[in-house]
Amino acid sequence: MLKRPVLNTVLAILIVTSLILSGCGGATSTPIVPGNTPQASQTPETEKKVATFIFTQDFDSLNPMYSNMWFSAVTQQLWNCWAWVFDNNNEPIPYLVTEMPSIQNGGISADGMTFTLHLKDGLKWSDNVPLTSEDFRFTWAMHTDPKNTVASAYPYDKMTSVETPDAQTVVIHFADPFAPWIIMWKGLVPAHILQPIYDAEGTLDNADWNMHPTVGCGPYNFAEWETGSFARFTTNDNFWGTKPKIDEIFIRFVPDDASQIAALTAGDGDLGTFIAYNDIPKLTTAGLNVVTQPSGYDEGLFFLDDTANKIGSPGLRDVAVRQAIAMAIDREAINRDLLLGKTKVPASYWDSLPFYNNPAQKNYTYNPVGANALLDQAGWIDSNNDGTRDKNGVELELTYGTTVREIRQDVQAVIKQQLAAVGIKIDIQTYANDLYFSQDGPAAQGQIDIMEWSDGPSGFPDPDIYYWLCSEIPTADYPAGGNWFYTCDPDLDALIQLQSTQVDPTARQATISQINQIFHDKVYWLGLWQDPDVWAIGPRLLNVKFSGVTPFFNITEWDLTGK
Amino acid sequence: MTRYFIRRFLQGIPLLFIISIILFVMMMNMGDPIATMGGRSMVRPEDRARLTRQLGLDKPIYVQYIYWLIGNDWTKSDLDGDGIAETTGTRRGILRGDFGTSLVNRGVPVLQVIGERLPNTLILMLASEVVVVLGALLVGIYSALHQYSAFDHFITAALFVGYSMPIFFIALLSMYIFAVLFKRWGLPYLPTVGMFDPQVGKTTGQVLLHMILPVTSMSIVSFASYSRYIRSTMLEVMGQDYIRTAKSKGLPRPEIIFVHALKNASLPIVTVVGLDLPFLLGGAVVTERIFAWPGTGRLFLDHVSRGDLPVVMGILMLIAVAVVVFQILTDVVYAWLDPRIRYES
Repeated sequence: MLKRPVLNTVLAILIVTSLILSGCGGATSTPIVPGNTPQASQTPETEKKVATFIFTQDFDSLNPMYSNMWFSAVTQQLWNCWAWVFDNNNEPIPYLVTEMPSIQNGGISADGMTFTLHLKDGLKWSDNVPLTSEDFRFTWAMHTDPKNTVASAYPYDKMTSVETPDAQTVVIHFADPFAPWIIMWKGLVPAHILQPIYDAEGTLDNADWNMHPTVGCGPYNFAEWETGSFARFTTNDNFWGTKPKIDEIFIRFVPDDASQIAALTAGDGDLGTFIAYNDIPKLTTAGLNVVTQPSGYDEGLFFLDDTANKIGSPGLRDVAVRQAIAMAIDREAINRDLLLGKTKVPASYWDSLPFYNNPAQKNYTYNPVGANALLDQAGWIDSNNDGTRDKNGVELELTYGTTVREIRQDVQAVIKQQLAAVGIKIDIQTYANDLYFSQDGPAAQGQIDIMEWSDGPSGFPDPDIYYWLCSEIPTADYPAGGNWFYTCDPDLDALIQLQSTQVDPTARQATISQINQIFHDKVYWLGLWQDPDVWAIGPRLLNVKFSGVTPFFNITEWDLTGK
Repeated sequence: MTRYFIRRFLQGIPLLFIISIILFVMMMNMGDPIATMGGRSMVRPEDRARLTRQLGLDKPIYVQYIYWLIGNDWTKSDLDGDGIAETTGTRRGILRGDFGTSLVNRGVPVLQVIGERLPNTLILMLASEVVVVLGALLVGIYSALHQYSAFDHFITAALFVGYSMPIFFIALLSMYIFAVLFKRWGLPYLPTVGMFDPQVGKTTGQVLLHMILPVTSMSIVSFASYSRYIRSTMLEVMGQDYIRTAKSKGLPRPEIIFVHALKNASLPIVTVVGLDLPFLLGGAVVTERIFAWPGTGRLFLDHVSRGDLPVVMGILMLIAVAVVVFQILTDVVYAWLDPRIRYES
């Protein structure tokens, strides 16, 4: 039988052991690189420049093959490398390649099916092994191997082959003309590290490199990642480009919004992101600079417009009703009052891509009188005096569902009120993210008349919008279809297919402009507010610029001042 | 006694089996793991179909449960989508010690995912439990011995103020006062979030410093119930005849209180602590989230929101096993504390 002193001793040992385990970093299997944490704890850090970033979500994986997560992707400008990056105007800058491919320089074949990339001299991985065209070929092969459960095989699954005529030339072949080529090569995987693992295991799913990519090709080296707690990136002494000015990037995962704000205002973080608009005044008062960067996302309403007349409200199949909704919602007031004037109403689905929003689309303006007149004209009147318009015995009652994000619920309440003023009754519904966006969820199953989320061109900064195709409407044989609006517009369909094959930017711009006009006239989508990335920058950080695609594109120029 | 405990352990096996079925079915209906794999964009239909097939999510629930339980290394799956099952599975099932791999941290074994967080949770929760139990003992005993005194009234009121406040409020309030405002006022201040300062490194001192606010927040909430419990049981015991006898025999007051009274008064406390201990493994969801403490509570929340069934099931089954084990251990301690309790038939 245990005596009380023994129990006390066991308890004390448990606590002390936990402390030691935690203090020694025993919670992670990551090897501690010499000169990192333990050394840091022994020597004063008066000279070492450590910038602390606060991320609200932990990574799922650091291997670009296994993650579509934004928080993971943005670190790739630290430790990995893309063929090209994008600047603060979201314009491409050659990074690994000598120049951007085009028809003029021969990088893109006239038929749009073959792309040739020339790599810069002196590229190398952080272990000093040259980075070559073989790494590109290997990256393609691994993305398309069915043994690897990659997050997305696109656009690699559209390639028929990748040739490597020499170490610095990559030739990519597609089966069809491929206009969205700019979304290729978002991150590379090192063939010399991972090929042996693939050969041994038949898959990369279990490779330690996925979670601990100790060999990379960016200005920083991956040093350590303790899940849920932090990740550290230290300068890459073998980096082939300009050396960074900050010695270490320390990313701390703080999932709670209020805690993030407290940490930033207390100076426990130099950079924060996904800042709620109502927190901006607190941060600016505390001396932080808040900047917004368009990243291709616009919050908007999607309308269930089942052209097969099987599901959804018959009201939404009437273009006059959709136009009236556009006129009945005071979107300027939503931006001004709920989003504190920090955003604006997007002019179109391509609002973040000025080149493809040309000529700039004119917005519907707030005009409830006009909305009422339009509905009257279309035969939607309140014949039974119940406060809701009806036509042929069908009441204009619509379900309006979105996710639990706080601002969305506020907007739902405002829109419900404004639509009620023109005789449209709204039933508000709210769902958890994973339920809402599930294949079996209410949006995919056509159970919501008006859907709301933040979206944009599927491969920003490419303007493609494949999921509006008729062939993407979910069916019993194709339940994974992405056209949750059930809209099949033959004119739109033909134009979407056409633009996806146009490698000539000018021709593609003209096609997108036609699509844009159809979107506007038929109100297939109604933008509520531009949904840019919102960053909070602490007073110590200098030279900070952001891109909407590759946020840390100029990370080597960032610097820290003072303490 | 040994036979009793063997019987209790054996009874736990079918119980855990039933629990696992109930939890598995519930978790399967919690959400779609692939829905959140697209990052900020929708998952492409081709990717959705491929991932559903590769991860075995296209199988019926009972088949997925069987694979989870006994593995799938005895059967083949179709990974390339050609309709032909060509690849032999690699999972061995939990009955053979394989809890599977995480869907979120693809390829990482569930036990590793949980194992990385468990020490962090234990350090936080055990520290909090120790603070609460020791503090509650002191306050509860003192209040019982000085019933209706000014201190008793004051501490009762203070404890109920703490008890009535939600943990997230206490946590955020304490963070704002002791970290943000104290720093602003030039006073010694505490860190806001995390386990250590990156400029200093992850030393034991840093971890202890970062534990102060979360442990205090959790303790405030739990303190009231424990101390009131101890107070009432002590009051009851102190009125017993054998205590009066001890007093009349002239035994020293500390011996009466801490040896004779407390041992009997602690019997109900053992039950409460015994029931609480298994849940320490589950972490404190709210506290860990607010203070960015990387424990199992946050792990559970993060992975349940992404439909990561293997990890969520791993955590839940770990807690279920712990509940069964700690129930039995509680019985052991009960028998040690109270000689009247014997488990022989």
